[in-house]
Amino acid sequence: MPSEYEALVAALKLTSTPVAEYGWKTRPEGAYYVVSLESETGRFNADGERLDRSWEGSLDLFYPKLTDRDDLIEATEEILAETFGASWYMNSTQYETGTGLFHVEWVFEAIDEPEQDPLLAAPAEEENPEEGDT
Amino acid sequence: MPYEMKTEGMEEISRMLTELGEKAQSVAALGLFDGASVMRDELERGAGSIRTAPFQFAPPGQTRLPSPEEKDIIVNAGVGIARFDKNGSEVDTSVGYSARGYAYLKDKLKPVPLIANAINSGTSFMRKQAFVRKAVRSGGSKASDAIREKIESLVEGMTNK
Repeated sequence: MPSEYEALVAALKLTSTPVAEYGWKTRPEGAYYVVSLESETGRFNADGERLDRSWEGSLDLFYPKLTDRDDLIEATEEILAETFGASWYMNSTQYETGTGLFHVEWVFEAIDEPEQDPLLAAPAEEENPEEGDT
Repeated sequence: MPYEMKTEGMEEISRMLTELGEKAQSVAALGLFDGASVMRDELERGAGSIRTAPFQFAPPGQTRLPSPEEKDIIVNAGVGIARFDKNGSEVDTSVGYSARGYAYLKDKLKPVPLIANAINSGTSFMRKQAFVRKAVRSGGSKASDAIREKIESLVEGMTNK
C-alpha cells in the first residue's frame, strides 16, 4: 500500500451511520467517503530492480441534499492537497435521483515509496587513508 | 463523463498536413477514424472485463456488483464513433455510448449511458469499476500511433505519385 494512500484514509473522517434496511433506504444518513486504489499507472526500474511505482485511485464523496456543499468539498480538497500535493483532480459531479445523493469524484495518483531510495541515498564515503607523514 | 485526449509530438505530421493544403482535412479525418477505432476497441475490451455477480440489493452500508444482465446490455450496445466535426483545419470526434441508446432491464427501458456511467463512476449502491478511464489511459498512445501511421502512409502515397 502506498504511504500516501494510507495517509489519505487516516485523514478522512467517516461520518456515516448505515440504516438497516434493504433497497433504496440502505444509504447512510450523513456524508461519507469511498476510497479505492485502482491500477498501476507508472513504474521506474533500474539495475534490474523495481525502484518505484505509482498508483491511480479515486476518492468518492457522497452527501445528501441539505449538507453544506462548499465546506465539505473545500475540506476534502484541502486534505487531498496536503496528501498528494498537485497530483489529483476533480473528475465528475453527479446527482442520484433515486437516493437524492450528490456524488463528487476525485482522481489521485499515489507513489509507492520504497524504504530506502538507492538513487537518493548519500553515496558511501570512500575511505581515504591519510597519507603518512613523510 | 467525457474524457479529453490530446496528443503531443505530432509537429512533423502537422507540417505534412499544412503542405497538403485543401486535402489536409480529409487526410486528418481518415487518420482520426483509425485512432477512434482503436479507442472503440479498447472500450469494448474494457466493457468485456467488467466483473459481475447475480443481482441482489446492496446490503446495508455496502455496494453491489453489476448483474450479468446489466453487463450484457453494455457489451451488446457496442461503442460508437460520432459524426466528425470539421471546423476549419480541425477535425474532432467522440467515442462512446450513444445518448439515444435504450435497452430493456427487468421489462423497463433504461438508457445505456446511464448504466455505463453507474458502473464506470460508481453510485451509492454500485461498486465502481472505472473501465472508461482505464481504456483511455491504456489506449491513448496506441490511438495516436494509429493516427500517425495512417497519415504518414497517406501522405507518402500522395507525394510519390
